[in-house]
Amino acid sequence: MKTEMERFIKIQILTELEDAVGRENCSVREIDRLTHSVDYFWLSRMWADRGRRMPEADFIVSPKDAQETSKVVKIANYYKIPITTWGGGGGTQGGAIPVCGGILLDTKRMDKIYEINEEGMYIECGAGTIYKHLEWAANERGYATMHYPSSLTCSTVGGFLAHRGIGVVSTKYGKIDDMVLQMEVVLPNGDIIQTSPAPKHAAGPDLNQIFIGSEGTYGIITKAQMRIYEQPETRRFRGFLFKDMHGAFMAGREILQKFKPSVMRLYDDAETASLIKKIVGVEKPGAFMNVAYEGVKELVDVEECILLDTFKKYGAEDLGSGYGEKWWKEKITFFYPGNMMDLPQMFGTMDTIAPYDKIEKIYWSMKKAVESNFPQAKFIAHFSHWYEWGCMIYDRFIIEGKDVPQDPEEAMRLHNAVWTLGVRTAIENGGVVNDHHGVGIKLGRLMKEQYGPAMQVFEGLKKSLDPNGIMNPYKLGL
Amino acid sequence: MNISKKARTHIDACRFCWMCRHICPIGNATGQERNTARARALGLSLVVRDAEKTEEIIDNIYECSLCGACVKECVTGWDPVMFIQEAKTDAVLAGVIPAYIEKMLEAKEKTGNVYGAVLSKGFPEREIGAEVLLYLGQDARYKSPASCKNAAAVLDKAGIRYNCLKEEPESGYAMWFLTGNTAETQSAAKECAAQLNRYKNVIVYDPADLSFIKRQYKEWGIAVTAEMVGFSNYLLELIGEKKLEVCRSKRAYTVQDSFHSARELENAESMRKLVAQCGENRDMLCCGKDTFLAGNLIMNEYMPAAMREVSRRRLENAKNIGAETVVTESPAEYEQLLALGDKAVRVLSAEEMVLENVK
Repeated sequence: MKTEMERFIKIQILTELEDAVGRENCSVREIDRLTHSVDYFWLSRMWADRGRRMPEADFIVSPKDAQETSKVVKIANYYKIPITTWGGGGGTQGGAIPVCGGILLDTKRMDKIYEINEEGMYIECGAGTIYKHLEWAANERGYATMHYPSSLTCSTVGGFLAHRGIGVVSTKYGKIDDMVLQMEVVLPNGDIIQTSPAPKHAAGPDLNQIFIGSEGTYGIITKAQMRIYEQPETRRFRGFLFKDMHGAFMAGREILQKFKPSVMRLYDDAETASLIKKIVGVEKPGAFMNVAYEGVKELVDVEECILLDTFKKYGAEDLGSGYGEKWWKEKITFFYPGNMMDLPQMFGTMDTIAPYDKIEKIYWSMKKAVESNFPQAKFIAHFSHWYEWGCMIYDRFIIEGKDVPQDPEEAMRLHNAVWTLGVRTAIENGGVVNDHHGVGIKLGRLMKEQYGPAMQVFEGLKKSLDPNGIMNPYKLGL
Repeated sequence: MNISKKARTHIDACRFCWMCRHICPIGNATGQERNTARARALGLSLVVRDAEKTEEIIDNIYECSLCGACVKECVTGWDPVMFIQEAKTDAVLAGVIPAYIEKMLEAKEKTGNVYGAVLSKGFPEREIGAEVLLYLGQDARYKSPASCKNAAAVLDKAGIRYNCLKEEPESGYAMWFLTGNTAETQSAAKECAAQLNRYKNVIVYDPADLSFIKRQYKEWGIAVTAEMVGFSNYLLELIGEKKLEVCRSKRAYTVQDSFHSARELENAESMRKLVAQCGENRDMLCCGKDTFLAGNLIMNEYMPAAMREVSRRRLENAKNIGAETVVTESPAEYEQLLALGDKAVRVLSAEEMVLENVK
């Protein structure tokens, strides 16, 4: 009887969702539920690799705009069923996995380019726009988005915003939260709101920053105005080899007090000897650093002089422009299957960020904690987004397939133990849970450890905006 | 699931990778996550692991246009087209293909073409014992009467003596598209080769057929003794030999590259050379080997709304650069771009462009 009732209600909900978005944009087909159950999160991949099925949504809906999204959210609220937002599914933290079933809202039909505003230097687009398509739209008018993460071709505008993403030229152009002017958001009650028309204001807290990084727990981003930039007159590269990490940090810190390169990436000895050797061809031992500087030629000439003088002081070996240019060309190639870590290996990126006075200590503490507690794990890192006050660590652990338990539950246990230890060590030494991949279900448990009583701010917002707790449950520690 | 070890390796490589998502014309048009190479690979990887059934994912296999943009994009050499075609063959042999595919195969059996169509009135049939054959292919013959008429008209204008068959064998491309590498597909290919080999020269109108004959026949060891030439190349030859006298106009043309020519045959130049004879070439975003599909008439039979959106998006690319006229050598893309009825941009076949500039 209960089964019949459930079946009846499910069809009832389905017909309402079909009414909201159109029958062709609402699916209960197995292929759609399956493909939205596995994202880039290692655990979901391992689960599928072992022939297991991840939790699946009951309904997959693809609204075309905020109005349709609002209708879907209202239906979810009425029936009190979970609603998980999916952009490109390229997230590493399991943020898009519908762990509680319910509705999976795929944003990719919201991919309209509404306006290319060359005076205001922004493009208004649907949140489901694949970022590479936004880049193409900018390129067609002679501009660039300057947001070039490895997932540029995989992920959506909304996905980057919801997880506070970052690209390789961030040191000059900023993170995704620096690149957005205004957003349209559908709240959990179905209301459609606009954030302020410009981001830098004193009209209260910045609404953009409340929703950026909220991973679909406070609402669904449906539209955004993303900044575009003039193409640089020139972009130059310089590779350096440092004898030790300390000198590299000091050199990087000093250069940031003088000007902002676009790319700054420092690889530790282990990553220089592995990935950089393989992809870029640097054979010598040491810590490789690639720097790019760009803009108006006259300024770039001056910046180059400052860069060379400054790095010389710290004993850096100037490797010329070749390695850097090769790196730029291959910057996404790193992440193709065959070049990237893959199953049966276990791996993860525990990126964190801290001021310069803490960053080295965090790196060494995490390395020691992971390698001594999990001797089967390799720990490699690079430092790829730099500010005047500090930088981030993109640190990765890798466990070879032979050391990964075949039993998926045991593999999950080991995976979570490495993560807990690594991130906890970062927090204890002044880092944060994550730098630019987000929290998802992977790190939710560590949010309270990070924030302590400050977590009540997030929880208060959650309770107020989403009293039924339907928006992306078990993500972000909320 | 009976697929090769190579296919399994490629499936496992692709199942968690989205790097080619942005260039999938179907995925871009539908916005559906299942229309990615990784979704197809994920589904197949679970079938291989007995955690999924082919019947549940087979529709999605048929939602791929086989345009190869993903193959071109992959820097590490993975090939979704290969494993998709193996999956189709496996589904055919297991008897689990979708009903709409079955229907097209039945039409092929009954009528000789997958559309179950008849030739239009005015089809330029001629069997005059010529050494040259104009091989039109199924899409042009049964779905694009204008292509047939104009192809004949431009050859007539050049004074070419050629045959155009009322009973033309299918190259095997449509069968390959629907069933992969089956015995029936190879049999169709052999039958076609035998017919083509009766001629000294064969002008192949549709790049889909030309590419299939040049690549797949060779792989299967099917000998083609006739000299094969693509239609746009042939037009260039006629212009070079002054059999067609073309006057370069001030018009600007934007080439919609057929992926068969630009990627599979690595020839994006012929169309541009042809355009250069007729006017100014103005390329749009993602052209040449990076081209996006603009239409597929086989898929249009079972997913017309998605195919219309594929064509609409490609025409938008042209409009974004201010294109006046889009020129294509593919009858499928020609018909589907025209069917949009967009008055802002003209859509011409290669021969229409030549004819409007011929002296």
